[in-house]
Amino acid sequence: MKNLVIEPTKYTPGINFLFDERVLEISGESYPENTAEFYSPVLKWITEFLKINESKTITVNIVIQYFNSSSSKIFMDLFDLLNDKSHEGLNIIVNWNYLEEDDNMLEYGEEFQEDVDNLKFNLVPRKSI
Amino acid sequence: MDDSLFRLKQSYDEKGIFFSLSGPISQDLIVEIGDILKHKMKLEEASNSTILKVFSLLIEQSQNIIHYSVEKIQTQEKLNKELHFGIITVGFDGGHYYVIAGNLIDNKDIHRLDEKLNKIADMDNDQLKAYYKSERKKESDQQSKGAGLGFIEIARKACQPLEYNFEKIDSDHSYFTLKTVI
Repeated sequence: MKNLVIEPTKYTPGINFLFDERVLEISGESYPENTAEFYSPVLKWITEFLKINESKTITVNIVIQYFNSSSSKIFMDLFDLLNDKSHEGLNIIVNWNYLEEDDNMLEYGEEFQEDVDNLKFNLVPRKSI
Repeated sequence: MDDSLFRLKQSYDEKGIFFSLSGPISQDLIVEIGDILKHKMKLEEASNSTILKVFSLLIEQSQNIIHYSVEKIQTQEKLNKELHFGIITVGFDGGHYYVIAGNLIDNKDIHRLDEKLNKIADMDNDQLKAYYKSERKKESDQQSKGAGLGFIEIARKACQPLEYNFEKIDSDHSYFTLKTVI
């Protein structure tokens, strides 16, 4: 599979999905005009990627400064998918990165964490993003 | 020359409205509006949390106009791209920022909107959180261009119950206005 790389814009995040490294990063701002359209190739890539059975850990890094409500729905769909796959035995870690003084983003991370039951979902405070 | 624009300015000043836009609204435009409002609030030394909340409400309410306003035209060069019209105002009154946005809707949609907003208006923060999370877990609604979470997100960010109004224009259309206080 090829890597999936999408450059960030002011309102869509950068996508850096590295196949060999098994590291998937979504970073920046997420409030597209048409959220489903923007994330369609992203979710498609992940769905294909998760079909490949390999024991090496998959790391998902979320480094988002702001996301709108429709992006929130897409993230939930993504975490649900990853949660299902980790029930099937895949080793997946999600790192939810947030600025250490940003209580809003911490709270959003906690709310996603509460809604997955098997995924390793880490809340990672950072000095800068 | 008539003085209606000056009267409008006076009325804005009385209400504390410092930003207003009435017309076609695009994604790129709301990004720029977001930038200038963040800049203004930083100069006023608003907290980061307040700035983020105002920005968030601006985005949600503006994207509602882009997605749902029935006052619209199709642009010539790209027929699949429509321009949607609405009004966005941002103000500061009694120690709080607020966003008021409005757009034209079909009368047949009033009932559904009213029901949803009414349900949200009666909820406390814990109920809003639970409702938000249960809606987010649902299968995506193909009819909705967003995710149907917008109003709940807005209510969670607001520090007072949402205020809204449907002003009937004719047998087909009404003007929908939503005010959120941060």
